Amino acid sequence: MPAVKKGAVGKGKVDLLDGNQVVAEAIKLAKVQSIPLFPITPQTEFIEIIADWKGKGIYRGEFKVLESEHSVLSAAVASEMTGARTFTFSGSQGIMLMHEIMYVASGTRTPLVMVNGSRGLSAPITLWPDHNDFLAMRDSGWLMMATETNQELLDSIIISYKISENKKVLLPFLVNMDGFIQSTTRTGVSVPEQKKINRFLPKLKLDVRLDVNKPMTLGLGAMEDYMFFKSQMHSTQLDSMKIIKDVQKQYGKLTGRHYGVIDKYKMNDAKAAIVMIGADSTIAKGTVDAMRKKGKKVGLLRLRLLRPFPEKEIRKALENVRHVGVCDQNIAPGMSGILYPEIKAALYGSRTTVSNYIFGLGGKFVSKEDFSKVFSDLLRSNKEKRAWIM
Amino acid sequence: MDNVKGKEKVKKAGTQIGKNPSSSTGKKAGDDRVFKVMKDVPRKELIGGGTFACAGCGAVTGIKFVFKALGKKTIMVNSSGCMTLTALYPFTPYKVPWVHLAIENAGSVATGISMGLKAQKKEKGTNIVVYAGDGATYDIGFQSLSGAADRKENFIYVCYNNSFYANTGFQRTGATPLYSETTSTPLPNVLPRKHMARIMVDHDCEYVATACTSYPLDFMNKLKRAAKYPGVKFIDLLTPCVPGWEIPSGKSYGAGKLMVDTGLWPMYEVVRGEFELSMKPRMLPVEKVLKLQGRFGHLREKGIKHIQNIVNKEWKSLNAGEYYKTHEY
Repeated sequence: MPAVKKGAVGKGKVDLLDGNQVVAEAIKLAKVQSIPLFPITPQTEFIEIIADWKGKGIYRGEFKVLESEHSVLSAAVASEMTGARTFTFSGSQGIMLMHEIMYVASGTRTPLVMVNGSRGLSAPITLWPDHNDFLAMRDSGWLMMATETNQELLDSIIISYKISENKKVLLPFLVNMDGFIQSTTRTGVSVPEQKKINRFLPKLKLDVRLDVNKPMTLGLGAMEDYMFFKSQMHSTQLDSMKIIKDVQKQYGKLTGRHYGVIDKYKMNDAKAAIVMIGADSTIAKGTVDAMRKKGKKVGLLRLRLLRPFPEKEIRKALENVRHVGVCDQNIAPGMSGILYPEIKAALYGSRTTVSNYIFGLGGKFVSKEDFSKVFSDLLRSNKEKRAWIM
Repeated sequence: MDNVKGKEKVKKAGTQIGKNPSSSTGKKAGDDRVFKVMKDVPRKELIGGGTFACAGCGAVTGIKFVFKALGKKTIMVNSSGCMTLTALYPFTPYKVPWVHLAIENAGSVATGISMGLKAQKKEKGTNIVVYAGDGATYDIGFQSLSGAADRKENFIYVCYNNSFYANTGFQRTGATPLYSETTSTPLPNVLPRKHMARIMVDHDCEYVATACTSYPLDFMNKLKRAAKYPGVKFIDLLTPCVPGWEIPSGKSYGAGKLMVDTGLWPMYEVVRGEFELSMKPRMLPVEKVLKLQGRFGHLREKGIKHIQNIVNKEWKSLNAGEYYKTHEY
């Protein structure tokens, strides 16, 4: 959580909000025009809020509950294609059903924003969070961001619209929120003023859209040109890094909350570091504080942006760390955690040892002590280790 | 519903079947047909030539009629299938907005478009038309269509029914007729067709119709009429498929016509639950159209007779206005 400068928050109200309420506030600020939805835990509270707001006239856009998540994302892509700013929200089994259309959304270059309420995947069916659903979308061509706190979630949704709708980007954005840890936990959130956001996020103007006065063929097939489209998408992802940094800087100036593509926590002289994503980073940060008090040189690197992958930034942050423990709240069975090989690739050729710890699958409770065990592991030896915290 | 026959006598229309006016019935007393003769049809084409479709393709012809009937203020939604291949980067034959996302979501794409347009207050005067294949309608896309009909979304859904998964090589769909050869059934298809029109009537769709590209005026008038009703309007459009039906490309139009004239493809409308036959076929022997199609080439006398018996029986119900008692159509 970046430090908030005093007075920088402005006249924006500070409220106790849970994750779903925060998302609702964010889409109100972003002046979203169209929201197709399908209820899924942990996102249902959001539907209730929007339905309530729609009834009271607080939210004036289109809102519909469709018959499945697959249809929801299809409708969201189509809605965005007409030039209306569109939002949708799902998670877990829901986003898995959307998987096919995830690729279509990025392939048709639709600047849609979706929040994923992270939850473990069936079977066995569960309700509590892990990141397998979010990371399953890794290769879908969406820009991806994982948040830690509700404040960050609110800011990230607004930021992601600005990035997605940039004419040099035009890719959909997936923002992750951990189910329950974020979705149903109230924390203090400073909601920016509408006026400020209006200036930051102007009305959406799509050049390529479905318009009877300007006919265009969208979502058409390609044979030998297929690879061209994919290479375009890839280079756009890589080039968008600069735009993302710029937009975050701009947002920082506006609200006083500065975000980076990675979140370095006490990394300056760290000998051992944990790399992770998501809301459980808050617990691990507590461990870092406790161990720092004892004089141990430890730190934490939280990845905020996952796609485009901030390879250079990660390498720079971890190069001088002796031993890195990648804590994955996900599992690619038969291999390792999903982030582990990516961090290892980013550190290829450096002298840093990279170990892998799997934790918190299906919301399995993880404590400060668990992370302090990881740190003592990392500090004890330089031998690579792959372990489970359970 | 019982006085259908009475209405037939009011006016004999069937203008497009010049030779056999007796084989067609008129519309209701208040004739609202916009296209009475071919001259009434606008000359302007909103789909260009040179698509990748087969020679004699009924489905492409169908698109042409959709555009002629509804004009350029139309957004067409396509589901993956033969018609997706009409637009391949960097070429497109479409002079109206056209969008394709996947095979099973045409109903929800149309929903999304209407949501987006409504949010921007642009929905007035714009027709949203789904043009999806029979596999994408009867089978894989049924959920999105059903959901859209349930939500009373406002668009016209045209199912171009060539009665196969034609694009992948003629596998069986829920629309494949009895005893037709397919590449996914070891024996000819032994299952009867799904009664899609009836299912859509049961969704309380205000306008449901069946049509055939070989009767273009009838189809275009149905589109015009459909556009007047709210909610999802469903038209099951029979489109002859040259390689699938194994007919010579020159016989495409004739095969469609014979399918109707033999009674194998009844054309009717169900408007707000009221059933009405669009035309009374000449009831030629089914053998005529079955022998024309290679996919029925294996049929011997017994099989043909069986199909004829079914057709006769079904038409008894249809003539009595009891379409809901039919099973095959």
